Amino acid sequence: MIRAVGKPLEEVIGMVQDYPRILVAGCDGCVTVCEAGGLKEVKVLAAALRLYFTQQGEPKQIDETSLTRQCDKEYLAQLGDRIDGYDAVLSLACGCGVQFLADMYTTKPVYPGVDTTFLGVTEERGVYTERCQACGRCILADTGGVCPIARCSKRMLNGPCGGSDKGKCEVNPEMPCGWQLIYERLKALGQLDRFEQPITPKDWTTSRDGGVRKIVREDLRV
Amino acid sequence: MQLEKKLAEGAFVVLAEMEPPKGVEVAGLVSQAMAVRGKVDAFVVPEMSSAVMRLSSLGVSLLLASRGLETVMQVCCRDRNRLALQADLLAAGALGIPNVMGVAGDDITFGDHHTAKAVDDLTLEELLQGMNTLMTGRDLAGIELKGAPRFFVGSTVNPGAAHLEAELAALDRKLAAGARFFITPPIFSVEVLDAFRKRAGGRPMYLLTTVLLLKSVGMARYIQRHLGQIQVPEALVSRIQKAPERVRECVQIAAELVKAFKDRGVSGVVISTLGWEDRLPAILSAAGI
Repeated sequence: MIRAVGKPLEEVIGMVQDYPRILVAGCDGCVTVCEAGGLKEVKVLAAALRLYFTQQGEPKQIDETSLTRQCDKEYLAQLGDRIDGYDAVLSLACGCGVQFLADMYTTKPVYPGVDTTFLGVTEERGVYTERCQACGRCILADTGGVCPIARCSKRMLNGPCGGSDKGKCEVNPEMPCGWQLIYERLKALGQLDRFEQPITPKDWTTSRDGGVRKIVREDLRV
Repeated sequence: MQLEKKLAEGAFVVLAEMEPPKGVEVAGLVSQAMAVRGKVDAFVVPEMSSAVMRLSSLGVSLLLASRGLETVMQVCCRDRNRLALQADLLAAGALGIPNVMGVAGDDITFGDHHTAKAVDDLTLEELLQGMNTLMTGRDLAGIELKGAPRFFVGSTVNPGAAHLEAELAALDRKLAAGARFFITPPIFSVEVLDAFRKRAGGRPMYLLTTVLLLKSVGMARYIQRHLGQIQVPEALVSRIQKAPERVRECVQIAAELVKAFKDRGVSGVVISTLGWEDRLPAILSAAGI
């Protein structure tokens, strides 16, 4: 799932301080799960902003809402009848939601309230770690289900680099060596022969370069 | 050194593009460069243009420098991060490359290694700024250098850009970042140049227009169809079509463009012959240079 963290309050204030009427819009999707941009965080941020601007002698109208998802038009459309009542929207959705909201309401300033960080998992409540960099061509079948692109700090496809110590990465001794994890996993699966087969240079055409990626599912289109 | 000095004196300069080979066979390139020695002020060495893997600009620039030929080394954002860019610039500075030009680089997908990952760590403006930062004796991390390089810094500008407003804004950013000379993509008509100079005039820059030697009607048609930023007038294509000796006509067209740009008062030209470097003397001679 997409993970995000709330932006520092000072940064948010800097973005919205010139607008008298602000809608803080959360998203009930991924950012709710990682407790960065759901209705609860909307309420906390809106209260903090109201308090700040009141203390500054510039009270503002700061309202709260949260949409089922900000990455689907039908939910964004629910703002249609009230968005004109605001001078700006502070979206606590991930970067996708912020942009899709701005796409739909082209003349309304939309600002991000969170930093979208990575695709990751919940290790324990409040601890999230990255697992996927969405490169567009999954190689987990070759690496024992452990992604070297996301979990090796050098993104090596034929590791280990030789710099790890006691299973920890040389870049950060608190971080497990991705290739140590791959080795142990393949060993446990009895697939160590895979470790002996070099991975050829990766095809990065499905990754970030070359512009916006797109999926068209003809079987789903209506 | 000679290039910067001549431009400062207001002299018309002639540069020739020397496309590095895809491989290590460099004898032909060196002999073609030596053949026009004295007629060409400097050789522009592209850095993997069109994202096609070739011998590096640094390598060919050093090779030509070792024969006493002045070069303009291209430095490209696409393939190197800020460490590698600075390292190569220091190498160029230490080994006597006086002129460097920053380019953004064509997208990886246009080239012959389309599955590669682009770097694009620095933007073009950041790279140009970085070249000037190195000249102040510090690197991009602010750390003092043991000896600062000295470069004449340039970049690119496209007078035929579809969105001239955006191109001029980019030009101003490049000027602010310290670029002083600008090389255009191939231009095939003085009208394109005139329209650009009318809008861009007054800026403190040396403008060097590129004259591309067309090799055939097919090449002209390819540019028309696939390279939207470069305009080839239809009249030029039909002139080649009707010519009894097409190659000679192509050489003549290139020579006429060189002369026309010189008469228009641009700072200089870059002649691009894309493998037909042996035609360079004929172009220069027909242009009266």
